[in-house]
Amino acid sequence: MDKITIQKELTDMLGKDALLSEELDLMYYSYDSSFFTKLQPASPYAVVFPKSTEDVQKIMQFAYQNDVNVIPRGAGTAETGGSIALEGGIVMDLSKWDEILEVDAKNMQTIIRPGVVHAKLNEELAKFNLFFPPDPGSSQMCTVGGMVANNASGLRAVKYGTTEQYVLGLEVVMPNGDIIITGGMKSRAIKNVSGLNLTKLMVGSEGILGVITRIRLRCFPKPRARGIAMAVYDKLDDAPATVLDVYQAGILPSGIEILDNSAIKAVNEFKPHINLPDAEAILLFEVDGNPAGVEFDGNLIKELAGKRARSVEWSTDQQRMTALWEGRAVTATAAARVRKDGTRVFAGEDISIPISRVTEVLRRIKELGAKYNIPIVNYGHIGDGNVHSAPVINPEIPEEVERALKLIDEIHLLAIELEGTTTGEHGVGAVRRRYASLEHGTALDYMRKTKEAFDPKGIMNPGKLI
Amino acid sequence: MQFKELPSVKEQIMKCVRCGKCRSVCPVFAEIRNETAAPRGHVFMVEMLRDSKVEASQLLYDRLSNCLMCETCSANCPSGIEVHKLNAAARSYIYKYYPNSTKDMIFDTMWTNPGLMQKTIMMMRGAQKTGMQFLARSIGFTKYLPGDMSKAERILTDIPSRSARHLLAEGYRSIGERKYTVGYFLGCATNLLNPQVAVAAVDVLIRNGCDVIIPSDNKCCGLPHLANGKMDTAQELAIHNVKTFNNYQFDYIITDCASCSSALDPKSMQFLLGGTKDEDDAQKFAGKIMDLNRFLIEILDIKLPANENASPIKITYHDPCHLANAQGIKAAPRELLKRIPGVELVEMKDANRCCGGSGTYSVTHYDLSMQILDHKMHNAMETGASKIATCCPSCMMQLRHGIKRENWNAEVVHPVELICESYKGL
Ligand SMILES: Cc1cc2nc3c(=O)[nH]c(=O)nc-3n(C[C@H](O)[C@H](O)[C@H](O)COP(=O)(O)OP(=O)(O)OC[C@H]3O[C@@H](n4cnc5c(N)ncnc54)[C@H](O)[C@@H]3O)c2cc1C
Ligand code: SF4
Ligand code: SF4
Repeated sequence: MDKITIQKELTDMLGKDALLSEELDLMYYSYDSSFFTKLQPASPYAVVFPKSTEDVQKIMQFAYQNDVNVIPRGAGTAETGGSIALEGGIVMDLSKWDEILEVDAKNMQTIIRPGVVHAKLNEELAKFNLFFPPDPGSSQMCTVGGMVANNASGLRAVKYGTTEQYVLGLEVVMPNGDIIITGGMKSRAIKNVSGLNLTKLMVGSEGILGVITRIRLRCFPKPRARGIAMAVYDKLDDAPATVLDVYQAGILPSGIEILDNSAIKAVNEFKPHINLPDAEAILLFEVDGNPAGVEFDGNLIKELAGKRARSVEWSTDQQRMTALWEGRAVTATAAARVRKDGTRVFAGEDISIPISRVTEVLRRIKELGAKYNIPIVNYGHIGDGNVHSAPVINPEIPEEVERALKLIDEIHLLAIELEGTTTGEHGVGAVRRRYASLEHGTALDYMRKTKEAFDPKGIMNPGKLI
Repeated sequence: MQFKELPSVKEQIMKCVRCGKCRSVCPVFAEIRNETAAPRGHVFMVEMLRDSKVEASQLLYDRLSNCLMCETCSANCPSGIEVHKLNAAARSYIYKYYPNSTKDMIFDTMWTNPGLMQKTIMMMRGAQKTGMQFLARSIGFTKYLPGDMSKAERILTDIPSRSARHLLAEGYRSIGERKYTVGYFLGCATNLLNPQVAVAAVDVLIRNGCDVIIPSDNKCCGLPHLANGKMDTAQELAIHNVKTFNNYQFDYIITDCASCSSALDPKSMQFLLGGTKDEDDAQKFAGKIMDLNRFLIEILDIKLPANENASPIKITYHDPCHLANAQGIKAAPRELLKRIPGVELVEMKDANRCCGGSGTYSVTHYDLSMQILDHKMHNAMETGASKIATCCPSCMMQLRHGIKRENWNAEVVHPVELICESYKGL
């Protein structure tokens, strides 16, 4: 079916306000946060804004009958090209559909539509003294639908894990328009081993199996106290060693983050009031729980980190903690500030390796930066081995882009070599799909067979993940 | 300077990593909720325009114009991109392909000529008073403005009979020992719509040791022109104002208007005149520009005598975008209010969220502007205050309109009006 007919049929179906079809407007949907779409933007045939499961069902039935691709999209903050119509098709923007349908405080769960923004959900849950623990750096902008589809996590994954652990059930519109509910049609149970676990299959499926239209999430009670220790290092190598010391002392912080020298500079440029110390690296340990436990853990971390660090600051002051945590959260984008005529790019930015090999990986990444003559800002969730590397390049110089692409490839291969993976949380999308066979071997065939069973016509977000 | 050669266009576009942080703070995006209204969408389109991947079209102009120039995105962009400036430059570039004679008349002829501007406003006042709103139409607004002009007309209420230029002399000596000689930059909207603010400001300045000169031939600061695709005119106005004020030996150049001080500050002057022969003069001028609130607190550190009889009053403060986002000034106006005997300052939720006025936006995008205003009014009314203080004539106009729409018994004032009253109340 041609583009014009698709646009016309969709307009008749949904009304003109629920759709974009002007050529210019479609271009706004040709990118997400990935470097890949900066280099190769791709416009869809139309963008639709469904606001009910029935709308989604109608769109899917239409697409299925006419062999038209459908690409679900949340806020478009993924660094993978996941929400882009690379092979043409209809982009389904779900970010406007953001009702919090219910907070079931007694059963510690909430039921929401996919477009709810992560930070907004936690604002609402806080009224019930609850929270949804996964904590991505993009909390202010990403949708929970996108988090479920990407199995996102973040700064607190060390203790609280990833989105997957909190999804109790989903409503999903399948490629042929069927509506299914996973996790039990009527269930509000927190534990459930009945049936094949389709919930787990859907989480992290990056929109290639169906459209997530309703989410039942488990919530946790908000911890009563919190504290942050900042350890300052003159030698980068000493930082990962402290992380191991802390674990070996029997402490499980809620977050352990690292910023290297250039990440520190970037944060100070953007938010001078945070005033991070000039150092080779800093570690931020967040501990939460009951007040006495937090104090105990904080003091012990201070003592342990003090053995290697130049200094350690322990704070339970609300303002200071907010500043330090915010500083870490903005690093991803602020990294662009370290070079006047350049920017950081979101590529090769999410490798995850065993905790025991963090020192080695940081050293090897530094060597790769020198080999390709590209500065790299390193930061990330060191507590679980998830290192975010930010190559800083001038994306308008083709030769530099070429060099960067080679560097990025080597970073991904390095992760696999060190018994890790190319992506710890951001996902595969279009950009890391080329490593799928290397990472999964024969299992990839079974992934593809699963996809075929759900989506025999291959219309759901083609060209992504597997 | 050519659009593609502008330093901000050359240096900043590449820095956008499309992280979407700006989506989460943009007041227009919050209403429209699709990527065509996202600040990163504007940056993307400016890039496409620069690289000739899209044509300069009316549709693109309309998309870029759906922006309040409130600078919330720029203030929050971790990469340091001045999104609003890229947007303004692109609008001006496109405008050249789609000129509009009515718009040229308004922005190039009327708004660059204070005398003509005054006459037009007074004609509109006459029309208001006699109900002859056709006059406003007859000067051509309706042809150029999208949307419903009869709705937008309602915002422009109660035009005063005398402008600040009529009420004030050109110069005043300080009362008591002189500490500073200040130039007063009298913005168009203060002059014509809020003359009482200028009168109060001059009164407070001279009471606190300032000789005040109000150069008679200053022109508009150029912000409305930038927002409406008229960067060339904005540059001409800037050159004129720089020359006018540089003729004097001022210690400071003060303005009560948040938009004027932001449009005249060193960053904005660099954007308009950087790399031109006027650059150095412009920076000399811009280096002296200071917002009135900041001047009263940080330089003069004014003290108001205690007044036991002052009646208690609850006031809430609205941060003008061009003060809070553009210049980071949040504390000084609040501090001023707190120094006034009897005042209890009650913070509203999201005090620094745009009110939707933003100069001409409320006229060109009335319905959307009202949606944005509704959030503001809700938060303001929740405080139980009887006055909203703010420091931008455009915000004042918009908030007054909001008060009317809500049928709320409250008043909008500039902090300096209250300071002036409190001196006189003694
Ligand atoms: C500055 C910055 C910091 C970040 N920090 C983190 C971090 O700390 N941790 C982390 O995990 N990620 C992080 N991310 C990545 C990204 O924000 C997350 O992956 C997020 O979950 C994506 O959400 P989104 O709404 O933007 O989804 P999108 O980018 O719109 O979509 C992502 C994928 O999900 C699919 N999808 C979206 N909604 C649905 C739906 N309802 N049904 C089916 N499929 C759907 C899309 O097709 C696409 O494949 C960061 C990104 C940025 C820009
Ligand atoms: S916040 Fe800045 S870098 Fe991020 S998308 Fe917006 S303009 Fe681009
Ligand atoms: S200047 Fe204001 S309205 Fe314009 S894009 Fe930025 S945040 Fe949105």
